[in-house]
Amino acid sequence: MEQLELIAIFLFILFLLLGTGVWVGLALLGVAFVGMELFTSRPVGDAMITTIWSASSSWTLTALPLFIWMGEILFRTRLSQDMFKGLTPWMAGLPGGLIHTNIVGCTVFAAVSGSSAATLTTVGKMSIPELRKRNYPEHMIIGTLAGAATLGLMIPPSLTLIVYGVTINESISKLFIAGVLPGLVLAGMFMSYVAVYSKISSKYNPDPEPKTGFFQKIANSRFLIPVICLIAVVIGSMYLGFATATEAAAFGVIGALVLAAGQRSLNWSTFTESLMGATRTSAMIALILAGAAFLSLAMGFTGLPRALAEWIAAMELSRFELLMALLVFYIILGCFLDGISSVVLTMAVVEPMIRQAGIDVIWFGIFIVVVVEMAQITPPIGFNLFVLQGMTRHEMSYIAKAAIPMFFIMVVMVFVLIFVPELATYLPENMNRQPGGG
Amino acid sequence: MQAAGSVVRRTLDRLYFGSGVIAALFLITILSLVVLQMLARWTGNVFPGAADYAGYCMAAASFFAFAHALNRGAHIRVSLILQFAGRFRRWIEIWCFGIGAALGWYMAYYAWKGAYWSWKLHDISQGQDATPLWIPQIAMVIGAILFAVALTDHLVNLIFTGEHRIDAEVVEDHE
Repeated sequence: MEQLELIAIFLFILFLLLGTGVWVGLALLGVAFVGMELFTSRPVGDAMITTIWSASSSWTLTALPLFIWMGEILFRTRLSQDMFKGLTPWMAGLPGGLIHTNIVGCTVFAAVSGSSAATLTTVGKMSIPELRKRNYPEHMIIGTLAGAATLGLMIPPSLTLIVYGVTINESISKLFIAGVLPGLVLAGMFMSYVAVYSKISSKYNPDPEPKTGFFQKIANSRFLIPVICLIAVVIGSMYLGFATATEAAAFGVIGALVLAAGQRSLNWSTFTESLMGATRTSAMIALILAGAAFLSLAMGFTGLPRALAEWIAAMELSRFELLMALLVFYIILGCFLDGISSVVLTMAVVEPMIRQAGIDVIWFGIFIVVVVEMAQITPPIGFNLFVLQGMTRHEMSYIAKAAIPMFFIMVVMVFVLIFVPELATYLPENMNRQPGGG
Repeated sequence: MQAAGSVVRRTLDRLYFGSGVIAALFLITILSLVVLQMLARWTGNVFPGAADYAGYCMAAASFFAFAHALNRGAHIRVSLILQFAGRFRRWIEIWCFGIGAALGWYMAYYAWKGAYWSWKLHDISQGQDATPLWIPQIAMVIGAILFAVALTDHLVNLIFTGEHRIDAEVVEDHE
């Protein structure tokens, strides 16, 4: 009984610190400190610093700042204009027209950036005004953008997947490769929705695009070709086993610098801005990871993860029921926390649970990413909604409503993943072994 | 008094920013180490300990940037209650910075203690690099102290002027 009371205090402190707005990384440190004081007689501070040191000086983690930096560099290039101009002639012929530039644009940018906010701003900056000019229905412009931008979390490089991989000690490149197919399938589902909607809605009457010949199309998209090559190098080098995730990230940074220089958008100020931006974002995530590492040590002493895993095992839930419970749990959690925080906060408890249930951890990484992606477009904390609000000046409720169909498409995606797990597991099982491990 | 105050102010701000720049230099070092390691592998050589060095740079890049990231509002927090707190907002902010500063100093103290014992006991890295661990841990000590100073700095400002000094930039910088 006493044990239960202690666990209650522990959880209360957790919600108190996070809820009142203590920075997530520090809140995790604080909760872990309380947990250690309650449940052990070990010297807390020394255990803390050993854990923090080994968590923050890890080689695997170095992929994180490099991928962030790559995205930051490309974010400051002319990519946004080039993307729209280059994709327009190809998308004009599809049913649904240029709305597809939102989705394909997000998919392409997601492959060079690990964050969905950056994906959203880069693509939206250009496509929102251009699509409005052509009389596309406003809620479709907003909705597809909010939904497709979440692909930034799934298509490699993905910050959430790096954080997940570091937390549970799994290969980052495997996780990245696992995200490729589900990301493309999800993009395909978004596009089919647009195509079907454009056929059945009577209000969908955009201005037609001028016809362009094949060579004209190629000429228009010539600026996109270097970006596509960069993506191919980064993802391909991991898949073929030439490079570890960190090395692929280094290719990415250098490639992005060359590309920006080629476009003449690289100068001292964009270089330093991208570098400092990457430094700050990576420090932010590093603080969360340091707090999470200490928290999972403390969690181990509370006995909470083991007790929960045993409890779940005793209930003899089927795999499917367990996943449904986790789905609901993460959607609720996602209403209050961002994706990275909800992953690191829960992994100490959820990891033993899924391992015991015999769920593939690589597959689960993709599952969890789709679920936290949904959280990005659900109020009250959906981050993409905030970004879109800043860009379009619409009411939050309007944006949230426009994004609802995308939310349901993602729910469908979760079931597709559950029933066709090979989507996530086929590629990683067939990739070449990496040099030097990690 | 005023003049002395503004000297302190400027020194602190330079320190925060300067350590952010140092962090950025460590990020560049990570990139160089990774590239060198690849070049070595392709030419049939080995660069022993490159992964460990990159790891130390990672820790240095993070710790040196903590304070700077805090000042620019890059560290994320759940702002739901803060948004609707109205006139209680200041008190909740004081609570947050108070907790933050306490944890910051706690971490700084043990970081120092940890590095001190690494030095005292001649702790050597387990990897191929065989670096005495206290050397890379200095970065952790300095970064943690600066982070604690920055949190205290905001707390003091908050108590005396009612405003903290975090300049939350546009959303783009906030992902």
